[in-house]
Amino acid sequence: MAKELVAMLLAGGQGSRLYALTQKLAKPAVPFGGKYRIIDFPLSNCVNSGIDTVGILTQYQPLVLNEYIGNGQPWDLDRLYGGVHVLPPYQQASGSDWYKGTANAIYQNISFIERYDPEYVIILSGDQICKQDYSDFLRFHKEKGAEFSVAVMEVPWEEASRFGLMVTDENDKITEFQEKPKEPKSNLASMGIYIFNWDILKKYLIEDEADPNSENDFGNNIIPNLLRDKRSMYAYRFSGYWKDVGTISSLWEANMEVLDPEHSGINLFDEEWKIYSRNSGMTGHRIGDDATVEDSMITDGCNIQGTVKHSVLFAGVTVEQGAVVEDAVVMGNTVIKAGAVVKHCIIAEKVVIEEGAVVGETPEDGGVGQVATIASYVTIGANAKIGPNAMVYDDVEEGGEQW
Amino acid sequence: MVNSKAEALGIIFPNSYDALIPELVTERLMASIPFASRYRMCDFLISSMVHCGISNISLLVRQNYHSLMDHLGSGREWDLVRKKGGLNIFPPYAQKSVKVYTGRIEALESIKGFLKSQTEKYVIMSDSNVAVNFDFKELLNRHIESNADVTVVYHKQEIPEVFKRPNGVNKEYYYTFDVADGRVKKIYINSIQSGITNYGLNIYVIEREHLIQLIEEAYVHGYTYFVRDLLVPQIDTLNIQGYCYDGYVAHIHDMKSYFEENMKLLKEENLHALFDGNQIYTKIRDDNPTRYVNGSKAKNVLVADGCVIEGEVENSVLFRGVKIGKGAKVKNCVLMQDTVIEDGASVEYVITDKDVTVTAGKSLTGNDSFQVFVSKRQTV
Repeated sequence: MAKELVAMLLAGGQGSRLYALTQKLAKPAVPFGGKYRIIDFPLSNCVNSGIDTVGILTQYQPLVLNEYIGNGQPWDLDRLYGGVHVLPPYQQASGSDWYKGTANAIYQNISFIERYDPEYVIILSGDQICKQDYSDFLRFHKEKGAEFSVAVMEVPWEEASRFGLMVTDENDKITEFQEKPKEPKSNLASMGIYIFNWDILKKYLIEDEADPNSENDFGNNIIPNLLRDKRSMYAYRFSGYWKDVGTISSLWEANMEVLDPEHSGINLFDEEWKIYSRNSGMTGHRIGDDATVEDSMITDGCNIQGTVKHSVLFAGVTVEQGAVVEDAVVMGNTVIKAGAVVKHCIIAEKVVIEEGAVVGETPEDGGVGQVATIASYVTIGANAKIGPNAMVYDDVEEGGEQW
Repeated sequence: MVNSKAEALGIIFPNSYDALIPELVTERLMASIPFASRYRMCDFLISSMVHCGISNISLLVRQNYHSLMDHLGSGREWDLVRKKGGLNIFPPYAQKSVKVYTGRIEALESIKGFLKSQTEKYVIMSDSNVAVNFDFKELLNRHIESNADVTVVYHKQEIPEVFKRPNGVNKEYYYTFDVADGRVKKIYINSIQSGITNYGLNIYVIEREHLIQLIEEAYVHGYTYFVRDLLVPQIDTLNIQGYCYDGYVAHIHDMKSYFEENMKLLKEENLHALFDGNQIYTKIRDDNPTRYVNGSKAKNVLVADGCVIEGEVENSVLFRGVKIGKGAKVKNCVLMQDTVIEDGASVEYVITDKDVTVTAGKSLTGNDSFQVFVSKRQTV
């Protein structure tokens, strides 16, 4: 039986602007919001929208991601027909190739999509925090009789020139596409989420592949080609929470926004639209006698004996007595020892902050400013000092400093 | 065959000692009583068995087993979805006996056909009123090395108060043992001896073929209870070995012990003792992390995911999805899943079952020897 809609999730990006956080894992596998990874959002959106066939295109550091996805069971995507499939580049009789661009990644998997004989294909991005009902997007696509639709967000005009913009008429029909223009004619920014009629997508992918000058990219090549041919193209306005967490500061900010769902609009406490994840299976968290916990998110396996304020702690984090954690994102199984002070920073998984060490500081203006970042498996020695602008890849010895 | 698989199948009696704790089993059974912020009692035994390579586990349920079936599902969370073995739940066999069985012998007789068709050499049987992180592999090895016919597990401890209370309502059996050089010399039924005894945990190992033979003989004689009717009379002819378990045991046998065993886990050494061994699996609920909102205070608590804390909470165990409103005070409480303590309410020494709501401004107080219990779905 044919599937109406198949999702293809682009998860091959290196996420180079996350520096230390993406040394050993791909951007979609970066932990987020206490117990999730970024990819949980598009995957949960899929299953909550009724999409049961998802191809995940991986390329950069896929190990963590592959293991995390497994058979897709945590997202209810372990299906007899369909389900979730990880699609790395592979060797073919005619040779093999890395994915050259986003469009090329889909091109190389045309045969995967054909197996399900879909009417529509939705292209998703694995590096955004967003709760979105794709079935409503599909309804829009069908109502408009579109061949291609793109989800767009209204952005402030003064920021518009940072985005790829869709210029539309009064019926949301796209008339022009501007990639990061100096003089924006629209403030509708592309979210990088597209619905195609499969026959159209396939045709343009094959054409694009045949063009030796193409970068094989959706934004730079496929969409301009569709416009050139005056295809039926529409912009679907999305108004919920959406954040590209491609930089350290935006990732930190999005985590902090999770702490304030009433104002930020990213509500993880939504029974109607749950975000699924592979669970740690640890026991409930403990808060000790002398601990102070304020305005924070704490999950299974944590042991808090010190002070935690306005922070997001992932599974199995230990905060010893007298340690202070403030405005921080602390990922799984990290240990913050007695007397250490950790502020305004992102600390990756399985880090040890030894006694009396100081990491990061709160900017005086109270803004996002600089976010100190520590890579996974790093040990910060006792009484070491890590400056607010530091990007720590390796161990810092006792009493050492890094700025 | 590789050595990771134990040559034993597991049988769990999930209704054992139900009668001791009627408050919690009106809509469930002993095995599905919530414990330790995110688990059910049966999680501990099932997980322990799975970690020891036992992947053929049967639960012989007697009554009220809907909550257990809902909890266990297909057994996926315990890694028990298997082509061979896996998780089996045996409901009572209605046509055979109008009366639902009372003892282990009748229960085992009803699955005799199943037992005969299995291939594992040994059977490990257990009740579900104990939470332990148990090494069944060691138990099995000791059983084999000692050439025992039956191995019984005991723990050195006092007999629980509830059993010794004069004029008590207890109609359940419990056993204590005299053990010399590993061999059980004498079995006491419902002893009221004080001080430390070799208190039986109702965990047994026996060869499968031997079990079938013993059950067949016993059933013909109309016997009911495995220990009382089967082991006690044959204590001289059977080689019954005692295995002393010296790890952490949480024992549930009345509301007071339920409260105390939860509270004990607030002490770090106890929490470590129970959970530092193998991981205990349980049903996944996909809750978000727990959120401590501005103005909340938390001190000495064990909290599962999915809670929203706006008020104050101290010395308490909170299960998944508990909400504590602004200005609410929670002290010395065990609050089960999705309990809501509304703004300004105050609870102390209270145990709430699932889906309880304490409305705004209300106050409920028990004390350390008697806790107020609010049953499932009640609103105060």
